[in-house]
Amino acid sequence: MSEPTAITLTIDNRTLTAHKGQTLLEVARANGIEIPTLCFLEGLSPHGGCRMCIVEVEGVRNLPTACTTPAEDGMIVRTRTAQIEAQRADILQLFLSEHTSSCLVCDEKTECKEFMPTIRKAGVTTGCRYCPKDGQCELQAVTEKMGITNIDYPIAYRGLRVETEDPFYDRDYNLCILCGRCVRMCQEVRTANVLAYKNRGRKAIIGPAFKRTHLEAGCEFCGACVAVCPTGSLREKARAWEGKPEREEITTCTFCGVGCQLRLLVKGDRVIGSLPAEDALVNRGQLCVKGRFCNTELVNGHQRIRNPYAMEGDIPKEISWEHAAALAAEQLSVCAPEDFAMLASSNLCTEDLYIAQKFTRVAMKSNQVDTTARTFYGGAFNAYLDLMALGVPLSAVHEADLLLAVGLDSRFGRSVVGVALRGAVKRGAKVVSIHPRSHSYSLFADPWIQPRPGEEAGILEDLAHAVKAGESSPNPEVDRAAQLLKAAQRPIILLGSEFMQYTSASRVLDAVRALARALGAGVMPLPPQNNLQGSLLAGAYPELLPGGAALADAAQRTRMEAVWGAGLPTELGDWNAWSLPEGKRTKVLYLLGELPPQGPKPADFLIFQNIYPPAGFSVPDLVLPAAASTEVDGTFVNGEGRIQPVRRAVAPPGNARPDWEILCHIARKMGVPGFDFKNVTEIREEMAHLIEVYREDGEEDGARRPRPYSGTGRLSATVCPLPEVSGAGEFLLTVNAVEHIHRGFPLSAWVEGSKALLTEGLLEINPADATEAGICQGDSLAVSVGNIEHVWPAKLFRDQPRGTLNASLREWATFSPNPLPVRIRKAHV
Amino acid sequence: MGCDTRTSTSAAPAEYRDLFQEFKGQEGELITILVRVQERFGYISEESLKQISRFLKLSENQIFGVASFFSKFRFDAPGTTSIKVCMGTACHVHGGSQLSDAVGWRLGINFGQASRDGRFDFQRVNCIGACALAPVVVVNEQVHARAMVTSMQELLESHE
Repeated sequence: MSEPTAITLTIDNRTLTAHKGQTLLEVARANGIEIPTLCFLEGLSPHGGCRMCIVEVEGVRNLPTACTTPAEDGMIVRTRTAQIEAQRADILQLFLSEHTSSCLVCDEKTECKEFMPTIRKAGVTTGCRYCPKDGQCELQAVTEKMGITNIDYPIAYRGLRVETEDPFYDRDYNLCILCGRCVRMCQEVRTANVLAYKNRGRKAIIGPAFKRTHLEAGCEFCGACVAVCPTGSLREKARAWEGKPEREEITTCTFCGVGCQLRLLVKGDRVIGSLPAEDALVNRGQLCVKGRFCNTELVNGHQRIRNPYAMEGDIPKEISWEHAAALAAEQLSVCAPEDFAMLASSNLCTEDLYIAQKFTRVAMKSNQVDTTARTFYGGAFNAYLDLMALGVPLSAVHEADLLLAVGLDSRFGRSVVGVALRGAVKRGAKVVSIHPRSHSYSLFADPWIQPRPGEEAGILEDLAHAVKAGESSPNPEVDRAAQLLKAAQRPIILLGSEFMQYTSASRVLDAVRALARALGAGVMPLPPQNNLQGSLLAGAYPELLPGGAALADAAQRTRMEAVWGAGLPTELGDWNAWSLPEGKRTKVLYLLGELPPQGPKPADFLIFQNIYPPAGFSVPDLVLPAAASTEVDGTFVNGEGRIQPVRRAVAPPGNARPDWEILCHIARKMGVPGFDFKNVTEIREEMAHLIEVYREDGEEDGARRPRPYSGTGRLSATVCPLPEVSGAGEFLLTVNAVEHIHRGFPLSAWVEGSKALLTEGLLEINPADATEAGICQGDSLAVSVGNIEHVWPAKLFRDQPRGTLNASLREWATFSPNPLPVRIRKAHV
Repeated sequence: MGCDTRTSTSAAPAEYRDLFQEFKGQEGELITILVRVQERFGYISEESLKQISRFLKLSENQIFGVASFFSKFRFDAPGTTSIKVCMGTACHVHGGSQLSDAVGWRLGINFGQASRDGRFDFQRVNCIGACALAPVVVVNEQVHARAMVTSMQELLESHE
């Protein structure tokens, strides 16, 4: 690329140099000349809609807008003349004539801030606050700067209904100034195309087609539009009246393996909001609904556990930490290694998971520590590890010319990947998607291969075959996809979790691997567990030692014995995460950020350590309050293998403590040496001796570098151990594990807004099938095969293909095999 | 047997396939396609929007945004009997608005809407060039000169 041509122009009698291609606004701002703007926003295309930035250019008729006028050599520009100021003031008054503007031009404005004197009743205590942006509003700032105190135009409020029907944010278009930032954000940056201008002139308004809600219109609820709104038109339900944040903290999102960088907004001792950080490595200033909206509500819930408590009979009794640790130590000291089990969450920091396995191996002399990732990946776990070893960083999506998405839907989870993918389509890349249902890529994937559940492995194998051997497939779409894949220069394969719980999962993953090898393509596994790699590297599995080494790995064992100064247990044990759905009972079960299974109590003594109480499940004997992800320091390893920091933004509520601290406290109480850590840095120092990537990360410029998974150990992977059933039926049922799990809880349990988006425990059925079976939305639907029957509420879903059913469940191991032909009937209550 | 798994992705119905035949599927053809769809079906339905969206690979919201900008496009089914009340200057002076009020009250609808039973379609026009006959009402392309509120009643009944 050639150097941009330098030009010289005059703005407000100052001779300035700029380069060709810059707009007048850019040149002016670069040189400290202030021009007011409302619709302008860096990163979006210039719009020229608000007309606040009008300037005078010699030789040009009228007053052009600075944001859309390219700077030319020799231009003479004036930004503040009496005429310009008068016109700007006029235009602003026109805005205000439609905008409820008492906060802008009221006589009592100054006094109101302090004393709130008004003649109206409501105003006496509250002021006229119908807009939550008071003090943070850009329209207000511009009005004050221009000194507008009166509106010369007739007032023409639109009197529109405030739209509150969608989750997470409300829309009051009475406050809208049609700057179009949200539309441009939605169309240009997110390319989600949910928002558009509707109608024209006085009736112009922003929204989706017809009178659809954002949910119906395919909105991803990323909140990017809310963040750029200059007025109070778009407002977060949860943050609306919180006012200005006091400080910010950059941290890593904890809701999936993408590992977006967040900017937490903190006020006092509370996190009041989270916005995307301008991070070049991972999310590039974007977030999904979980990172954007669910974080705040999850960590601020009033039902958080604040104090340890023990059950005395049926009554919970709050106790001190000393007492709690003593109680746990008393039970654990007499517990034999084979009678102890710990189920940890792969949402915890690597440091916590490292301490968890050290606690199990050193204090309990057992290897029975596991995470629920085992049940999520089932028989395909090892195949998934193999693909993680081929992992490519997210930046590959930005460079690829063909993207094959396997079972990936990025509407609500991982939507930053969806943004990158749509961006790739925009620059001419092809997207091929394999997914059984209509999903976020169905409009632009070409081709979209839609397998009937159970056919997906065959299709991928055909595809691999067609690419390798050049044989054609009977399916013309598979053929076309194979042609595209063969022609691609830089193909990559993105792996979602749609097929992970299918009985064919390992066949699917093996086919993906074969395909990747044949194409020389990179694979990007997108685990829904935010710290899956961390849990593997920490060794939080019976078969794995820290560093992901096998349990029998002699070299690693010697190293560990030297660092820990303790002997290691050799027995693998016969307990793992599958033991819970199977109903196996142990003496002591330590749930570290996990929930007890539905059904009878899984242990004689149940220790439950989490951020929320285990409502609706078997009652634990000891409950320990843990600190949430915004309240701890630590690291996560994302799907690309980047070690990313989590930072403590606020103090935990009540007496809650970080997970590692609680475990160390109990270990010390048991008299076990080697748990005297004062902070996570000390833990990381010890980890660096045993985990290679953590050693590298401590070195300079190692931070946040992507590293494909390097563990050598293998898991004894088990397919869902439930007995296989067979039966005939006219419907094909697929069961998926819900992805939006945090510390064992589905997000919908504690985040109100996510109930509408991230559903679980519902049976999706095509409306036409439902009508034939006489089923309405929400009716109880009995699904049976042989003599097994399960009842779920029905969700009529127009994208569910005819003749199939889909259930997303927290405890997905219900039927085996998966998918399974079943019969349905309306359950009578 | 519910073996048709392809309902949600089925190719465009035959009538849309015919309609889209002359187009290449490029963004720039949107307005022409909208015009053709309205000619064919009388309005832009949710189904039409979905089919156009799939054909052009544009979101339904964007298409609606474009279509709603033009007053030519309507989004609800037109009624069978079309009633157009002239609101041009001459007709207005001769009481055109009383006529439109009368139609509106009787059918319970406003300009640009169809009656609930789908039998009447109510539009305003701004001068049909028959000012000498003001006020004018056009029912199914037939011009009724010097219409009166009382005659509107009969006119509507005769088409019921």
